Amino acid sequence: MDSLMQLLGGFETALSWWNLFYCLVGVTVGMLVGVLPGLGPATATALLIPITFGMDPISAIIMLAGIYYGGMYGGTITSVLINTPGEAASVITCLDGYPLAKQGRAGVALGVAAIGSFIGGTISIIGLAFIGPALAEWALKFGPPEFFALMLFGLVMVVGLMGRSLIRGLIAAFLGLILSLVGLDPVSGAQRFTFGQPFLLEGFDIVTITMGLFGISEILLGMESMYKTGELPKVKGLLPRRDEWKPTMKAIGRGTALGFVSGLVPGTSSTIPALLSYSLERQIAKDKSRFGKGAIEGVAGPETANNAYCGSALIPLFTLGIPSSPTIAILLGAFIMHGLTPGPTLFMENPNFVWAIIASMFIGNLILLIMNLPLAGMWAKVALVPPKLLYPIILLITVLGAYSINNSLWDVGVMYAFGIIGYFMKKLDIPMAPVVLTIVLSKLMETSLTQSMTIFEGNMFAFFQRPISATLIVLSIVVLIFSVFAEVKNKKSALAGDIEM
Amino acid sequence: MKKKKTLTGFIVVMLVLFLAACGSSGSSGSSGSSDSGSGGNSGTSASTSSNSGSQASQQSEAKDTASKYPEREIQLIVPFAAGGASDSISRIIAKGMEEHLQKPVVVVNKTGGTGGVGLSFVEASANDGYIMGYTPVELTMHKPLGLSELEPSKFEFIAQVTKIPAAVTVPIDAPYNTLEEFVEYARNNKLTVGSSGAGSIWHVAAAAFGQAAGFEFNHVPFDGAAPAVTALMGGHIDVVMVSVGEVKSGIEAGKLKLLGVMSNERDPNFPDVPTLKEAGYDVEIAGWGGFILPKGTPQDIIDILAEAIEKAAQSDEFKEFTQKQGMLMEYKKGAEFKEFAESQFQFFSELIPTMGLK
Repeated sequence: MDSLMQLLGGFETALSWWNLFYCLVGVTVGMLVGVLPGLGPATATALLIPITFGMDPISAIIMLAGIYYGGMYGGTITSVLINTPGEAASVITCLDGYPLAKQGRAGVALGVAAIGSFIGGTISIIGLAFIGPALAEWALKFGPPEFFALMLFGLVMVVGLMGRSLIRGLIAAFLGLILSLVGLDPVSGAQRFTFGQPFLLEGFDIVTITMGLFGISEILLGMESMYKTGELPKVKGLLPRRDEWKPTMKAIGRGTALGFVSGLVPGTSSTIPALLSYSLERQIAKDKSRFGKGAIEGVAGPETANNAYCGSALIPLFTLGIPSSPTIAILLGAFIMHGLTPGPTLFMENPNFVWAIIASMFIGNLILLIMNLPLAGMWAKVALVPPKLLYPIILLITVLGAYSINNSLWDVGVMYAFGIIGYFMKKLDIPMAPVVLTIVLSKLMETSLTQSMTIFEGNMFAFFQRPISATLIVLSIVVLIFSVFAEVKNKKSALAGDIEM
Repeated sequence: MKKKKTLTGFIVVMLVLFLAACGSSGSSGSSGSSDSGSGGNSGTSASTSSNSGSQASQQSEAKDTASKYPEREIQLIVPFAAGGASDSISRIIAKGMEEHLQKPVVVVNKTGGTGGVGLSFVEASANDGYIMGYTPVELTMHKPLGLSELEPSKFEFIAQVTKIPAAVTVPIDAPYNTLEEFVEYARNNKLTVGSSGAGSIWHVAAAAFGQAAGFEFNHVPFDGAAPAVTALMGGHIDVVMVSVGEVKSGIEAGKLKLLGVMSNERDPNFPDVPTLKEAGYDVEIAGWGGFILPKGTPQDIIDILAEAIEKAAQSDEFKEFTQKQGMLMEYKKGAEFKEFAESQFQFFSELIPTMGLK
């Protein structure tokens, strides 16, 4: 087992005092950055690159990589505690994490997320280490048509998240689709809905919308009842109940698989495995109505999935030199600035380097787990801070986060606007998660659809001539029919129930 | 009750301290490293320029009292996202400039509008020499593309530092091995050409080649060159005409082959690959990058910056970087750079309307 020997050699390098220190710094910064909504791992990595100039390349990358996967751990915290996702992927965690927090089980949610993240992250790094290159080949088979099919599948899954009212969910979904139209048309470069504003040329930034819809609206809503003194729920426990362990571990297992596979496909974002995992858990669960009210699998699955995604998303980078997401692109830039060219030759020319980094990722994940489990309890106590103290701090953090995206007040304004929209949406009981999810999905979907159409020269049936895209599209149609059928059945029995009364 | 108050107070203090630490981490974190002695070399937006400004003023007090430019830190606006080519180039040059100027040069990313947001910001800034910008070729393409009213005449030009020629790249198993074979095939079969976006420099390169050689193609835009190269490696599209650096790892992996480069000389990394001119097609299209200032900045400031940039561009670090990236280091100073930019603007103003993008 040649790889195993090299891995052990990597551990030797990674366990040096300096590298351990840098790893610690990296993951801590990553986690903290993940906690702050708006300030994502991408920005943090970019900011810290200059500091790494004087450092040894291995140490530099260890630190920067730490920021990257540490960020995934931190995003959970704000989602669970204050219903404000740190990044798009954490939106899913809000759905069941926040209800758990309201029941006083924030510690459980955070604990489960930490454990799941650790398992998902570690397993996907093992995958990266041993079967990475082989898998990268397979991932190349994903071209624009396959992408489109995958996005279509994701969109159908969003329908499954509609909650009680299909109509309201559809309103949210279409709102998201409309918002994603703003900006430059990907094919012709024509400006849509930009009203001559240069800031709108790139469309709305997903993070500002998310922070506004979830965070600001939460504050606005909370301000209504701020002066009522209610009983704040006690924070109990860190780990799930005995009977919850088994479904949790199963959810973690499925989440790992989903996340790992999603990461291989270059160009996807961490939102997709989280979304797929949540939908999967919901579909498989015996009692679907638990979801949205604090189902532990709804937190365990997605959180594991997005950490597993992080590990395997590095596979295209290491083996083919292709960055899968903006943060990884920055990591690629850092590699290059330190004189290393990621790609197939990296494993051959610089094996020490690669294995040291992989080893450090194992260590980093372990550090994060150790940090997060006890800290979860402490973080959970933040939920006890009285609103009139908490809200100004949240406002401050979200404004800073929004500003940091582009060093511009425009994003802050957009965030506030969406905060107000979100407030009204909450009043009208329109779910917000579909808005965010459809924006993410539809941008990718439109691009891949137009690309596919160009490649096929207008022949729509060509989608079914390619194995992967055909499978996914058929699957989407099946799921769609199923969901609509189930919804109709529910309505019928609900109506019947009403009549009985 | 008291316990709760203490706990709340503690949490508040922690959060505030954290924010303060976040703000100053840019200046304090770097003190342990690097040789350049610059303090605030990562412009965190949370920390306002007052942080690094106070550091710089301490430095200038310590250094010399002559009121020479630069007296405080200079902001380098990069109109594209961190991690990309523009950003990497700017950061390395900024570091080199710091060593020469003995003042911090802080990179600030202002993305959006295919560079429009950042470039507009530079245009509207004060021309006292403390805000400069990095511009890639896109500046000369903005107006022809209808993206904005930006054009070279609205800026002062300090120096160009890179030239990034386009290259014709196809999958390794494609049925053509030379440019002639490729053109022959392309004339008879409409190929799919990937690029980093509609109106991007690589799309324009493909269009220019198509016009010169007499073939049409189906243009498939991607969100950047990297996804286009990925699709090429998977065999989903036929050809890309992006930079050498972006296809280098694919070629080394044995998945892609390089047919030709759109420059005057052959690429030093691939000496066997001919230029399009050698094959008989008079096409020379390259991305390029250089530094600019708001209009009206005094000439002596421009000269000081040009000198600092020259030193940085000639450093070993930059040379190594460009070599690995498949870019060419090309230094053009002030007036020469401005002339070049103007001629590019003319060129694109004539070419782009014929591409039928609108």
